[in-house]
Amino acid sequence: MSIKSGYFKQHLQIDLTKGTAERQTTADAFIEKYIGGRGFGAKLVWDNLRKHDFKIDPLGPENLLVVAPGPLTGVYLPSSGKNSFVAISPATGLYGDSSMGGGFGIELRQTGTDILSVTGKAPELSVLFIDNGETTILPMPELKGKSCLEAEGMIKERLGTHAVRVATIGMGGENMVRFACVNTDWSRNAGRAGMGAIMGAKNLKAIVVRGHMDIPVYDVAGLMAEAEQAFKYMEEHKYFKLWQQEGLMNVIDYANEKGILPAYNFKDSVFARHDQINGTTMVNRYKIGDSACFSCSMCCGNICLVKSGKYAGTVVEGPEYETCAMLGPNLGIDNFAAILSAARLCDELGIDTISTGSIVGATIEGYEKGILSLSDLDGREIAWGDEDAILELIQKIAHRQGIGDILADGSHRIIENWPEMDKIILQVKGLEQSAYDSRASISMGLAYATSDIGAHHTRAWTIAKEMEEGQNWTNDEKVDTVIYHQKVRPLFDMLGVCRLPWIELGLSERHYANFYKYVTGNETSLEELLGLSNDIYDLTRLINARLGMSRKDDTLPYKVWANPPLTGPNAGKVIGREDFQKLLSLYYQKRGWDENGIPPAEVEKRFSD
Amino acid sequence: MSKKLTVIPEQCSGCRICELVCAIKHFGVDNPKKAAIRVLTTYPHPVVRMPIVCSQCKVPACAQVCPSDSLRWIDGVVQLDEENCTSCYKCVEACPFGAMYIHPDYDLPIKCDMCGGDPECVKKCPKGALRLIPEAALGESRRLNNVLSYSQMKEIEFYEKGEKKVIRYAEVGKEEL
Repeated sequence: MSIKSGYFKQHLQIDLTKGTAERQTTADAFIEKYIGGRGFGAKLVWDNLRKHDFKIDPLGPENLLVVAPGPLTGVYLPSSGKNSFVAISPATGLYGDSSMGGGFGIELRQTGTDILSVTGKAPELSVLFIDNGETTILPMPELKGKSCLEAEGMIKERLGTHAVRVATIGMGGENMVRFACVNTDWSRNAGRAGMGAIMGAKNLKAIVVRGHMDIPVYDVAGLMAEAEQAFKYMEEHKYFKLWQQEGLMNVIDYANEKGILPAYNFKDSVFARHDQINGTTMVNRYKIGDSACFSCSMCCGNICLVKSGKYAGTVVEGPEYETCAMLGPNLGIDNFAAILSAARLCDELGIDTISTGSIVGATIEGYEKGILSLSDLDGREIAWGDEDAILELIQKIAHRQGIGDILADGSHRIIENWPEMDKIILQVKGLEQSAYDSRASISMGLAYATSDIGAHHTRAWTIAKEMEEGQNWTNDEKVDTVIYHQKVRPLFDMLGVCRLPWIELGLSERHYANFYKYVTGNETSLEELLGLSNDIYDLTRLINARLGMSRKDDTLPYKVWANPPLTGPNAGKVIGREDFQKLLSLYYQKRGWDENGIPPAEVEKRFSD
Repeated sequence: MSKKLTVIPEQCSGCRICELVCAIKHFGVDNPKKAAIRVLTTYPHPVVRMPIVCSQCKVPACAQVCPSDSLRWIDGVVQLDEENCTSCYKCVEACPFGAMYIHPDYDLPIKCDMCGGDPECVKKCPKGALRLIPEAALGESRRLNNVLSYSQMKEIEFYEKGEKKVIRYAEVGKEEL
């Protein structure tokens, strides 16, 4: 079988140390097996690890950063605006990836590029400009210390055009904050796993793209018909309008009702003043417009403006649920305007709102419990809901000032510095936990523990199902559901599309197999695609295993075992260590990995090409 | 044709579905850079998402500068005479809205032809930001909004079948001039 369409078969390889840009033709066998996006990234990162004998410093020049859209990115179908950043993560030292929405991915594809990979380190702060077929590395030291928004503006001015897409880092990335993100379209971020820090370490301030090539599609008429069906299904869904109106902010009320909303660094899982910071409040008092990624009818992005008070004039795209929960209730903040201000600050600085919210929350609790002293905090007190102190601390993290220098290195360094903080901070493998409390949902705990990039919710999101099923849900069903999610979800990142139409509106997976067929001309069935998707989960597990990770690392934050939520429907609930270990063993068994969580030798053979 | 393709930027989410379906309809390819409508976005000050498309002016600036007389307003659409066009792009430069486009694959400029009266972009816009409105009705909704938000209105609350309601009214002759 050969690839009929859907790809340019071009891999653009940049070596910043040498200052070279080379285009290589991608082999059909590689394309068929790894599909795109996260699949391409995982394989290239694996190859690079083998080349370096599994010794890679995430912030060293040898760490390969892969930027890859998928074959469906930029195609007329629901929410096709995604592309992945993949590398060894500076937060965990293990496999890492993060995807971004907006319009960057499609523009990158339109330069005739399926994969962009960057290695080395530029001698001075530079910008990579891919202008259709031409690639240049432009030294732009004047961008030093500029925020993501400022940098994007300055780059456009220097290039004399607004018709480019920019993926840039802010001070967070430049200062190699281990949870720095890559920002595009001013407010869309590849947020997790510290991809921005890798760009900073490479002296790469931004990747700028401008392309005008046709996106290759095998059967345009077939695709159109399939896309029409999918769009129509979504439009008729009873929650479609709610999604357009509130986006992910509608989750705040749900999470509070179910008792899974982080409050006060997960001391609690409900927030008394949740109605001050929920979707309704946003729509009624702050929202001034919608924002969508490429080819998306759901437009989950909200544009908010603070119209009065001390944050008046603050404009931000967002917040979405995670940002609002982690920078709001998790820090004891009930002022929506302050959340917007913090979200905007994180966009400017280019740091992840989940990790930032988690680390600031842990800092407040650490100080409250006396683990951190006033002098540790550079003499500046901080408390729940203290907006000024919190905004200041966020600045200090991105600029690595005072205590910010330690906090910027993430959970591992914080625990190394103050061992007692291990009981306070919520993290797995060094990545801070997302805004869903797992204490009442052991399957969600399993999902966090076995996620390849650390405690992130997008690998498997089983919490709602477990809330529905309650006590009736057997261990077998829990493990099967986690594995099913981990098996399906990589496919979306590999194809270069958003998974929200599937998760939230129940758009059938079958559509995606058909989209793939019409775009590439390949008659691959959904089952086969899911097999390839599941392979990626095996591959990233293998990468982590070879980097020294095993069962001992598939664990959960201390609080999940020891500190139940204080109030709400899940008050008093924790996950039992033994129950968890039992579930973990069952998970390994069903995965076909050994008791220690290591995939068998047969798995490695599959990726030895 | 007396209907006008109208843009309501406040409704636009910037998803660019209009660009995609326009290019597919006219060129059969998935390439938003071949569309006759493009969404321009500015952020954060001001925040605007606005599709830019030909207004089909009755006295078109593009036609006025065309040296080969290839652009004419016929039956509600400024039509390009493809045979006659010399691809000098004076029209692209002259359009006060920047609503004509160039793509390196083609010599001819790209402009909106209203899809023969049933624009694809209007049908596919998921936000209702693009509408086909009879010329005579243009401005209607703005007029209504303007009246409803008239600042000197007074409000009273009242109950109708037990339900609390608000009525707004303009009091005559009480305003100080």
